[in-house]
Amino acid sequence: MSTIINERTDSPACATASLGNYRFPDLPDPSKWADCVHCGMCLESCPTYEQTGQEQHSPRGRVHLMKSVGEGKLELTPDLLDPIFTCLDCRACTTACPADVDVGGLIEQVRGQLRQAVPLTGWKALVSDVFLKGIFPHPSRLDWLGRLLKWYQKSGLQTAARKTGLLRVMPDHLAEMEAILPAIGTPVRKKYQHQPLIKAKGETKRTVAVLTGCVMDVMFSDINEATIRVLTHNGNDVVIVPDQTCCGALHVHAGDRETGRKLAKQNIEAFRDVDHVIVNAAGCGCMLKEYPELFRDDPEWHEKAEQFAAKVEDVSKFLHDTGFKAPKAELNVRLTYHDACHLAHGQGIRQEPRALIESIPGVEMVAMPNADRCCGSAGIYNLTHPEMAQAVLESKMQNVPQEVELISMGNPGCMLQMALGVKKYGRSQKIVHTVQLLDWAYQKEEGKDVRI
Amino acid sequence: MRKRLIATNDPHIQALARIVGETAILYRKEDLMAYDCDGFTVHRHLPRAVVFPNSTEQVAAVVKYCHEHDLPFLARGAGTGLSGGAIPLNGEVVISLTRMKRLLHVDLENRRAVVEPGFVNLKLTNSVAHRGYYYAPDPSSQYCCTIGGNVAENAGGAHCLKYGVTTNHILGLEVVLPNGEVIEIGANGVPDPPGYDLLGLLTGSEGTLGIVTKITVRLLKNPEAKQTVLAYFDEVEDASQTVSDIISAGIVPAALEMMDQTAIEAVEAAAFPVGHPKDIAALLLIEVDGISAGIDEQINDILTICRRHHVREVKVAQSEEERARWWANRKTGFGAMGAISPDYLVQDGVIPRSRLPEVLNEIANISRKYGLRIANIFHAGDGNLHPLVLFDASKPGETERALAAGSECLKACAAVGGSITGEHGVGIEKKEEMRFIFTDEEILAQTAIRDVFNPKNLLNAGKLFPTPGRCVETKRIPSAVK
Repeated sequence: MSTIINERTDSPACATASLGNYRFPDLPDPSKWADCVHCGMCLESCPTYEQTGQEQHSPRGRVHLMKSVGEGKLELTPDLLDPIFTCLDCRACTTACPADVDVGGLIEQVRGQLRQAVPLTGWKALVSDVFLKGIFPHPSRLDWLGRLLKWYQKSGLQTAARKTGLLRVMPDHLAEMEAILPAIGTPVRKKYQHQPLIKAKGETKRTVAVLTGCVMDVMFSDINEATIRVLTHNGNDVVIVPDQTCCGALHVHAGDRETGRKLAKQNIEAFRDVDHVIVNAAGCGCMLKEYPELFRDDPEWHEKAEQFAAKVEDVSKFLHDTGFKAPKAELNVRLTYHDACHLAHGQGIRQEPRALIESIPGVEMVAMPNADRCCGSAGIYNLTHPEMAQAVLESKMQNVPQEVELISMGNPGCMLQMALGVKKYGRSQKIVHTVQLLDWAYQKEEGKDVRI
Repeated sequence: MRKRLIATNDPHIQALARIVGETAILYRKEDLMAYDCDGFTVHRHLPRAVVFPNSTEQVAAVVKYCHEHDLPFLARGAGTGLSGGAIPLNGEVVISLTRMKRLLHVDLENRRAVVEPGFVNLKLTNSVAHRGYYYAPDPSSQYCCTIGGNVAENAGGAHCLKYGVTTNHILGLEVVLPNGEVIEIGANGVPDPPGYDLLGLLTGSEGTLGIVTKITVRLLKNPEAKQTVLAYFDEVEDASQTVSDIISAGIVPAALEMMDQTAIEAVEAAAFPVGHPKDIAALLLIEVDGISAGIDEQINDILTICRRHHVREVKVAQSEEERARWWANRKTGFGAMGAISPDYLVQDGVIPRSRLPEVLNEIANISRKYGLRIANIFHAGDGNLHPLVLFDASKPGETERALAAGSECLKACAAVGGSITGEHGVGIEKKEEMRFIFTDEEILAQTAIRDVFNPKNLLNAGKLFPTPGRCVETKRIPSAVK
């Protein structure tokens, strides 16, 4: 049962500590599993346990396995990939846990170890290298990908591909994703590259920076635009910091903590001179707030990461806490709200977005049962684990009230996944980001024609 | 979820996979390790395999196979048991019932429901709450524990003081016997059929007599009114005396719970703090329910009794939300120990209420003797103690000391005419302590009953009863399977 920490002395130049069978640098934190007393209160909160009924796909079981490796009872073998990587990293267990065990943080640390012990091979390695290392960290390449998608949509190729059945050669889940691709606009970062400061409407109360994100800015630049408008409407000067990059969440979730650290450093430097980093993607916001976790072995960067994390805030909470202007125009619409995991469980933000929505006259909010249950998007989980993601989505869609017109949420991954759910299960709801609702109400207030 | 092919030469695993399907069996060490213990983590052993049947027929087929091939086996629900009842001590084939989790039938007219064993306790109440009904037994693990497991352990809970434990709410069972035969007891939910009380025998048999595959339970109408009181005391003695006086005043609270200072420290450091003062010696959480008329009087009587015993502060919950917060704080109490200690071991002694102060004192002495902290969270109203021995398994010798301290707590309970378990079961944990309250002959009489149902003793062997003394040894427990 004992935890073994030993210093390897065979190579004094780069002595590496190990912990049971964890042998790579950036060791998991044993105090995280020491908090777990195996009570099982987390079981029912876990979407993968709900689907499988299996302990190794439950938070408690995963913690037990990760601890067992630390105690030298299990090795980092390929057979461990399934339990550790099937986790959605949705953090619902963290909310359920009486002892506040940080299961998500532990999973990410162990994925870092496991990915080094069992490197990806074949096409998976290729896809991972191309996207996670080759594209996401590079804004110009992302931009290029965005233009390619835009061309695909506008050139008639999309129509042709759909008509000719060309899409049928793709795996089902990819073809389904293609079907719900939003119309691609112009990335905010590009649009404002020569105008890094967007003035507040009226008196400036403070200056904030907006994280434009990687996928967000390509797929949902309209939401980034809405975010900027809503922030400026509430007296904030908005800066678009040019050197910012992808937050690294996808990399950290996939066990590539090294790239995660690289991106973290770049962002920490890029936002050095601002007081507020406003994020409209829950997954990214959660990652930014958890940068210190990546630098546990590096005191200098750990401190910088702590300072940086303190500046990060989700747009809904920021607006709520800084006394946003309640819109005066009516939006006559009935909607429901879905808690993005990394907002509700990851950042503890539940009431603030609801308060924003409910402040809009004419909006009728219908409560969604189990609103904080994962939708199965989980970053790129729906691409890596399509079957499980599908099952989780199905269970989510059963809870979406029939009578609503919109489903509002605060995370782009969820938006794509829920759009897929709507299409797949023959529903009619439109998917919106919480700030879009505020934006529409403000625009209507200014006499603009708003069509939802 | 990933589809896998069976990659093992073990013919038994291949045969079991043919029964339940390839996606419903685990046999690799990396998966099995998650099944080496349940909520009782002191003993661990890897199972041979874990199967996930989805029907009574599959359970029966698996059991029949094990019976014919002399493979030890046992049933498991959510694995939240606190006495080790689901630990595969003999390398058992674990029959996990988590995929048999349907609510089969609700019959409000006759106030009953039929569930599969993997159905989660709280989900039953949630499924009928909108129609004004609930399922009464409410173990603290009710968020995730299964009703099948509740039947096996005869689970209790905070509200069992007034409403009784699981056995008082079971109307019928479908059971797979250890040879694979399927029987039904109390068919059609007609309670108390003539002849021996087999329902009573099966309920609380800790998975040693059969595997329950269908359960008919009693549903209750929601009480018209409910009031909850929280009282803080500077002396444990005062709190204990309050408990005693409330009961002797003729009040039957729905729940009457106590927590001591160490327990309060844990729940306040954990995920559902209420803001209890840290310097109080004990708190009482008291709930009364029933028809509206008279509730306020009962509350007044309770407040008067609290004040008579020098309560520091006492308050009545002002909203359902406040009440829910008090209960979440109490019900996550065991898990909350993780916030102040890496490991814990919970005991489950029962004592006559009047002996509370004395036994709590004795537990404090035991804590000092072993140099281990002991927290107390318990059902004071029915004298069901839960001393939680806090320890660190990574420190050499501490696990053994904790076990000895826990055993001594039970001895103290037995010494005042109490029992060694109220609701958690005997399992592995307390089987030796059975000797505190039973003679060898009495134990033998009970194992003789087991042998009628479970003659090969393949089903959950080595649980519930101590290994018989030499002079009365009649049967050998099957030796551990590799």
